[in-house]
Amino acid sequence: MEVQKIINKEILEVQNLVKHFPIYTRGIFLKKQVGLIHAVDDISFSIKRGETFGLVGESGCGKTTTARSILYLDQPTSGKINFEGKEIITIFSSKNKEEKQKLRRKIQYVFQNPYASLDPRMTVADIITEPLTIHTSLPKKELYQKLYELLELVGLEPYHAERYPHEFSGGQRQRICIARALAVEPKLLIADEPVASLDVSVRAQILNLLKDLQQKFNTTYLYISHDLSTVRHLCNRVAVMYMGRIVELAETQELFDSPLHPYTKALLSSIPIPDPLAKKSRIILPGEVPSPINPPIGCRFETRCIYKKDQNCIKYPPKLVHIGKGHFVACEKTKKP
Amino acid sequence: MNKELLRIEGLKTYFDTWAGIVKAVDGVDIEVIEGETLGLVGESGSGKSVTALSIMRIVPSPGKIIEGKIIYKEENLLEKSEKALREIRGKEIAYIFQDPSTSLNPVLTIADQLLEVILAHQEISKKEALEKAIELLKLVEIPDPDVKIWNYPHQLSGGMKQRIAIARAIASQPNLLLADEPTTNLDVTIQAQILELMQNLRKRLGMAMILITHDMGVVADIADRITVLYAGRVCESADTKTIFYKAKHPYTQALLTAVPSLALRTDKLKVIPGNIPNLIEPPSGCRFHPRCEYAIEKCTEKIPELIEIEPGHKVACFRALEINLESPLGGAKNN
Amino acid sequence: MQKILRELIQEKNKTKGASQWNIAWRRFKKNKTALAGFFIIGIIIFMAAFDSLIAPYGPNTIPGFYSGETRAPPSSKYLFGTDYVGHDVFSQVVYGASSALFVGFAAALIVMLLATVVGVVAGFYGGIVDNILMRITEIFLVIPFLLILLVFLKVITALAPSGGGGLFMVTLMIGIFSWAANARIIRGEVLRVKEQEYIEAATALGATKTRIMIRHILPNVLHVIIVLTTLMIATAILVEAGISFLGFGDPNAITWGQQLQKASEAVKEAWWEGVFPGLFITLLVLGFTLLGNGLRDSLDPRLRE
Repeated sequence: MEVQKIINKEILEVQNLVKHFPIYTRGIFLKKQVGLIHAVDDISFSIKRGETFGLVGESGCGKTTTARSILYLDQPTSGKINFEGKEIITIFSSKNKEEKQKLRRKIQYVFQNPYASLDPRMTVADIITEPLTIHTSLPKKELYQKLYELLELVGLEPYHAERYPHEFSGGQRQRICIARALAVEPKLLIADEPVASLDVSVRAQILNLLKDLQQKFNTTYLYISHDLSTVRHLCNRVAVMYMGRIVELAETQELFDSPLHPYTKALLSSIPIPDPLAKKSRIILPGEVPSPINPPIGCRFETRCIYKKDQNCIKYPPKLVHIGKGHFVACEKTKKP
Repeated sequence: MNKELLRIEGLKTYFDTWAGIVKAVDGVDIEVIEGETLGLVGESGSGKSVTALSIMRIVPSPGKIIEGKIIYKEENLLEKSEKALREIRGKEIAYIFQDPSTSLNPVLTIADQLLEVILAHQEISKKEALEKAIELLKLVEIPDPDVKIWNYPHQLSGGMKQRIAIARAIASQPNLLLADEPTTNLDVTIQAQILELMQNLRKRLGMAMILITHDMGVVADIADRITVLYAGRVCESADTKTIFYKAKHPYTQALLTAVPSLALRTDKLKVIPGNIPNLIEPPSGCRFHPRCEYAIEKCTEKIPELIEIEPGHKVACFRALEINLESPLGGAKNN
Repeated sequence: MQKILRELIQEKNKTKGASQWNIAWRRFKKNKTALAGFFIIGIIIFMAAFDSLIAPYGPNTIPGFYSGETRAPPSSKYLFGTDYVGHDVFSQVVYGASSALFVGFAAALIVMLLATVVGVVAGFYGGIVDNILMRITEIFLVIPFLLILLVFLKVITALAPSGGGGLFMVTLMIGIFSWAANARIIRGEVLRVKEQEYIEAATALGATKTRIMIRHILPNVLHVIIVLTTLMIATAILVEAGISFLGFGDPNAITWGQQLQKASEAVKEAWWEGVFPGLFITLLVLGFTLLGNGLRDSLDPRLRE
């Protein structure tokens, strides 16, 4: 009973996910592997049904790769991903077409760039109904009924259906992308920086839309962003990534009120606050993110850490440890209070 | 007294495209005082970049400056010859682009790129110029400058490249630095580094800076005064504190409330309805009226002038004095 | 308020969206050189369609032979003069139009079919398929194409005593030997489109490979295929003229290339015999080239606005 309950609560469970991209030099006939990019290195987290889980980090931290691995757009190097109790990497790598299609229907993706993720030669009607034509065999009439419902849902007009993507602004395009993703009523929606390329005045519209739709359909969101302020606005729980690893994971309020990892602290303090009189206690991190080809052996953050480091930091990667109230940290220094 | 360094009056820059004339900048007034940082805030299509390009007279084709005055040190730059202007570009007024990976030439070493600028405006030997270049790299806090100077741009990270771009811009100690979204493509932790660096350099070299950005957080931090642009026109211009606490233009207000912020957590963000207007056929009257909750009949018919409502605070809104806008930051810290 | 209403109505009236093809057409109409190309091609197609009505003499008649007017200069009787046996050059030029157009269109069709299949398949599937197809393509690229073509034509004519397969065989040979360069261009374009995010979006939606290829990739490389086809027509016409000029063409067909060859024997005495067919080859090739360049400008999605 007890176990069953827990499984049902968690819609997605990522266990020890690793994704390394090999780097090749091109020979005449054969490719030779000369190195590895450690994009995602042994991360684990789980998402509860109905919540919005945020994955934050700077460019190259592996947040997008994680999302792409869940969708099998990139084949994970190792690890397990359970979705609704089923291990999906095995399903995606198998030849079971039916199961794969079922998964594709249940997990939908909204891309960062609404300019690039819509086929320029298709009308909005074709774009939004594409997932329906792939996954269902609805007759044309119902298909169109559904299309107009979706357009209304995301705040577009019925006459927009006959238009082409280039006739829309960024915000409207992102609405089209959201309508397409919601067409097949997914269980999990992965939104990869959905507002990063939008203008500030339009951002709020899309964020509110995402929030409304979640309430309406009880969809689970995996929200990926580098922008901590939008994460705070949208997410229930947040994981902070740095160089392919999760450094801290907690409830949103907890993370923003009492960040523990030095990187989270610096990240939070680096965000410019739109208030000229706000107290500035900015932590400016020294240096830059090391190369993901030769990452530091121990703690990945060791090269820029403002804490006094010791041998443990340099030699051993810190484990993500639970310190209470669902707050996890991967830092040697914060373990002992 | 504060001396005026640059004044733009009624600048209009249009782009003649196949779809029609895009009125990117349509009557912009801006002034910059010596040694200050002016934040030029606006969304895409507000004309903030085109304004900056117009100052340098490097508006890309098919753009053209139609009318207006750009008065720099009491001389109108729009009346100067191309040759005279070349003396000013890079030497008096320098430009930092948004994307350092495209504004640096990929086939030249850092040394080549810096020497090019130094030798163009100063008559010194190559060896002296090289010393100067290394000095510049130290100034922008690049580690191992005598090694890094022989690198090519692709060997450096984004933050480092932006530092090089800054070094190149300040090489001949300009009086005015135009920085067009210099940190937009950088990560927040790197952005913090670069902003601090720019702030320090500006103070040290005593130059004025126009910082173009869409991020109210960035200007809150480093600008002395702010000018807000919308659809090619100025909405409001005042010192930073006034903009944040006593904004009088509904658009300025909206920019502050529509952005999720770490300071305030709300359940639902206030939304500016609609989209950014089409600049080929911009809305009649006040450009913001279709999206403005305070719009009245008059706003749809007449274009509001930029009026000084109190010393140093200019607003282009008919109802600036009637409507009472409340700052999202509250009035508490206002005294 | 009324203003807002009016705007709303205006907005509603613009219901039909402008597809990229509409935009391309709008841009094409503004392109004067492309329209000129279109016009030239139109005239020559008209000439070919109504050749027996336009030409004053039949295709195989030699009016000048009997009246002793061989190699007669242009006159009101013979607009472009007559040739060495007394053909009316004007009539011959008119009859040559259909062969030129046939070779151009048919060869381009063969070429583009081969090139599109090879290019799209290689680009889309990548890996080993791409490797094999591209190595084959390279072989076709490095062989001296005209030389091999001539040898083939010679062999075929020798094997078939009736004078080979005629114009059709020439066309087929041109088609088979000149697809490689186009295949490479199309493959490159497919590779570019394949990396676009909307293709990935389609994968994430669960679209099958065939669907992605037909619904997403093909429509997005179509503009390249159209431009290449137009330019290929021009190339094929030129190659056929060259083959005929070298005497490897179909002796039973009336082609501008053969007329040129015959004329080359007496350039000094009878310039009209060569100038007019040459002029028409140039015009037609120019027409297709102008059209192709115009199409490239108006179809390129990257040149929007």
